[in-house]
Amino acid sequence: MEMKVIEHATCTFCGCVCDDIELHADETRIHQAKRACVLGKAWFLNHTAEHKYPDALIDGRPATVDEAIEAAADHLYNADMPLVYGMSNTTCEAQKECVEMADLLCGLVDSHTSL
Amino acid sequence: MLRIIGGTVYDPANGINGQVKDLFIDGGKLVASAAEGRTIDATGMVIFPGGVDVHTHVAGGSINFARAMTPEDHRRTQAFIRSQTRRSGIGGMAPTTFATGYLYAGMGWTTVNEAAVPVLSARHTHEELADIPIVDKSCLVLMANNEIMLDLLEEGEYERAKQIVAWHIWAAKAYGVKAVNPGGVAAWKWGKNASQLTDPIEGYATLTPGSIVTHLARIVAELGIPHPLHLHCNNLGVPGNISTTLETVKHLDGARAHLAHLQYHAYGGDDWDTMKSEAAQLADYFNSHPNLTTDAGAVLFGDTVTISADGPWQHLLYKLTGRKWGNLDVENETGCGIVPYTYRPSNLVNAVQWATGLELLLLIDDPWRVFLSTDHPNGACFWRYPEIIQLLMSADFRKECMAPLPTAIKNRITLPEIDREYTLYEIATIISAGPARALGLHHKGNLGEGMDADIVIYNREDDIARMFGHPRYVIKGGEIVIEEGDIRETPDGREYLVKPFYEPDTEEFLRPRFEDRYCMSFENYPVEMERIERSQIQACASPDSSDSPQ
Amino acid sequence: MGGKVTCTLGEVKNRADFIVYWGGNPAECHPRHFTKYTLMQKSKFLPRGRKDRTVVMVDIRETKSVKAADIFLQVRPGKDFELMTILRAMVKDQEVSDEQIAETGLTREQLTDLIARMKGARFGVMFFGMGLSMTRGKHMNSAALLTLAAEMNAFTKFVAMPMRGHGNVTGADVIMRWQTGYPFGISFNRGYPRYNPGEFSTVDVLVRGDTDCAFIIGADPGATMPQPAIDHLAKIPTIVLDPHVTHTSRLARVHITTAPAGIAAPGTGYRMDEIPMPLRPALESPYPSDEEVVRRIKEAIAAKPDWMGQQPQMLLSQI
Repeated sequence: MEMKVIEHATCTFCGCVCDDIELHADETRIHQAKRACVLGKAWFLNHTAEHKYPDALIDGRPATVDEAIEAAADHLYNADMPLVYGMSNTTCEAQKECVEMADLLCGLVDSHTSL
Repeated sequence: MLRIIGGTVYDPANGINGQVKDLFIDGGKLVASAAEGRTIDATGMVIFPGGVDVHTHVAGGSINFARAMTPEDHRRTQAFIRSQTRRSGIGGMAPTTFATGYLYAGMGWTTVNEAAVPVLSARHTHEELADIPIVDKSCLVLMANNEIMLDLLEEGEYERAKQIVAWHIWAAKAYGVKAVNPGGVAAWKWGKNASQLTDPIEGYATLTPGSIVTHLARIVAELGIPHPLHLHCNNLGVPGNISTTLETVKHLDGARAHLAHLQYHAYGGDDWDTMKSEAAQLADYFNSHPNLTTDAGAVLFGDTVTISADGPWQHLLYKLTGRKWGNLDVENETGCGIVPYTYRPSNLVNAVQWATGLELLLLIDDPWRVFLSTDHPNGACFWRYPEIIQLLMSADFRKECMAPLPTAIKNRITLPEIDREYTLYEIATIISAGPARALGLHHKGNLGEGMDADIVIYNREDDIARMFGHPRYVIKGGEIVIEEGDIRETPDGREYLVKPFYEPDTEEFLRPRFEDRYCMSFENYPVEMERIERSQIQACASPDSSDSPQ
Repeated sequence: MGGKVTCTLGEVKNRADFIVYWGGNPAECHPRHFTKYTLMQKSKFLPRGRKDRTVVMVDIRETKSVKAADIFLQVRPGKDFELMTILRAMVKDQEVSDEQIAETGLTREQLTDLIARMKGARFGVMFFGMGLSMTRGKHMNSAALLTLAAEMNAFTKFVAMPMRGHGNVTGADVIMRWQTGYPFGISFNRGYPRYNPGEFSTVDVLVRGDTDCAFIIGADPGATMPQPAIDHLAKIPTIVLDPHVTHTSRLARVHITTAPAGIAAPGTGYRMDEIPMPLRPALESPYPSDEEVVRRIKEAIAAKPDWMGQQPQMLLSQI
């Protein structure tokens, strides 16, 4: 099986954000994360491109992403004081969307920092 | 399409001084005529090209550090409530990105130049610039303390140093080069400073601040960068620093340069007790040296937060004030310091600073070479520019403001003897046409056909600060963004970059030196082009052309 | 007093000949911190690498990291603030009694030696971890340490830096600062950002039952927060975006599986010293990215009637 090699990959597991990782991956999983530490290796090797979980769940039942997006938007829109929280294990691009959504909702926005 | 009929136009780039003239806009540009579209009746109103800020700090690690340090200001200041199409924001000393766009556009400024960007965090700067709505933007990369370049200059490798500068401009996706306290920030990494232009810098055997200035100005000229070296001299803010400033410009060897926030570099005296303005002496020198442009870096009384790549100065300010102190040293490249500050009219030093900024603006006789700035947020926040315009246009108002200053200020300033009052034409020059030309943005600050339709329409009022603080209409790229005091549209602005030529082997030369000093991958260091939203690359002059770009 | 005197990690690599870790355990929590940034690196100014550096570990117990240190100072639990205050005084040659020192669990000799080394350093750095910032005193501890570092600059070059963890939490801080002026704990209830940790911070909001809908992304509060907070999350509509079905997903009304950041989703992440890094994903996920899903939810909300109305508003000053 042909392995794809990604050089200078970035590990976002901890705040060191090492960007010298060499990843060897096939289509479904990463087999090697060279130069990563024990935590980083576990981080890279434990995530796969398999369809392990349902796309979405509404009230515990499998649903499509479209349905779940509508349901999420309804809940947030109908709330008086919605809260947007977390934003640790995600990209800056997603974080910007989160803050914009909280602004639109006139809600609360908070990160792990407040813990 | 848009037609503006009957307004009194001040367009210094085309020598138009208060003529009634119709303007037509199509496709975001000024055109000869427009058959249809909305018509604005500007009869009796004053029309300027959109303002251009040549030197401000609005995006990136330093201003964002300042935001973190001043929550007490955010919670008392102006707030922008969100609307369906517009993000919320906070104004004040260090406004949020969205508010920065609203506040600049709200007073008719449509182009801003962020004056200090380290390459290492340039990705961050561009993300913030993308979040500043309405105005067009550019930024300058910090080079005068880049140790890789300093090492090359010390080794006498001028050509290599030039290639390295070109490479870094492009890596940062910058528009030009800024030098801050040449050698002094590098020395600050050891807690030292560089105060003598001809003394070797801490950690170097022969390299001096003066030789950095000489070489960097030449490099920028030879690379054909549209904006000349943007130079923050050594010994900022220090009594008696006029000698440093004059010595620095001599080290330019006649090359073009833009002297940043000159007010902070125009002092006489030996210490804080004897400090006085030397604006008159500096203006004299400046008037006879056409290779120089400058921005005032004027001070207004009140609260602000000072941020500067000049780390040693900020440490001194912290020691003087005992207030909060933020400092961020950036490996190999630069640093920055942050200290909240209050300029008080009762404080003799502050009063001298206030007068010095105005004196420079009034004593430099060519409005094409001195521009309005406060070095935002250092001297005052940018949204206070209309107050400075009032001070420049009214000698009586200046007298009124001088009344409460300490009596000891006599003989330390020349402002009381200056009668000059700026005309509208001169104001249009120092806030728009002049800075646009100094930046080499020829389609800005110019209401000629084919130029960008960035236009401000003011109601003519006796209250000058009110007139300039609340334009009736602001048009950006042909779109009405401010109307009757309300923000109508918040389009995204462009970002200007340059791509100077460098030899193809520069990267391989640089890589080992980079890996010695940095702790990120060389491949991840340059900002990717696709990260720059609405980028526009401006041409550099060809290397063999001897003309400076005008 | 206040502020923060810091630097990027490369400065530590290049210059720091004196390194303090206070309440942190990098060997287990940030495993490459020693090798990539601090202890082991050689540089132009520290050609012998580790041999040119002195490393001090301050902690309440002997963690795995202590093995890497030259000096270990075991502070009595809950006495960090007192110790830092004593150091601030002793640095300035102010008098401190033996009883006050004894309370910290350390001796005058240890502190005198530490201060001599701090003042003798060319470039000192103090890293502080959750053992300092999350224990008795919390942010007051962080402030005391940052102040000590700032005041050391009267003698020599000194900086301080928090050991941020949790992936890209630094990015969230940085972005919230430029978009709202504040780093976390923000309310847009009045249509513009306000900041008040304790009032708008998540645990407090949940425990008081102040929120009636929670959107959770890149975190699993269902596994980490106090039980009353979790109980409230279960009571209200909670929405979770995560690459896994988490503890929080199980008590949520809506869960959407997303591509893991940096592994299957591209973008940017900030290092603990606020340097942005590009992410280079190796996999193509069957799931959408967080960015895409949040944008689509935001757009679905924006498509609904806005109760704020159309008229733009501005406050000239807040009360």
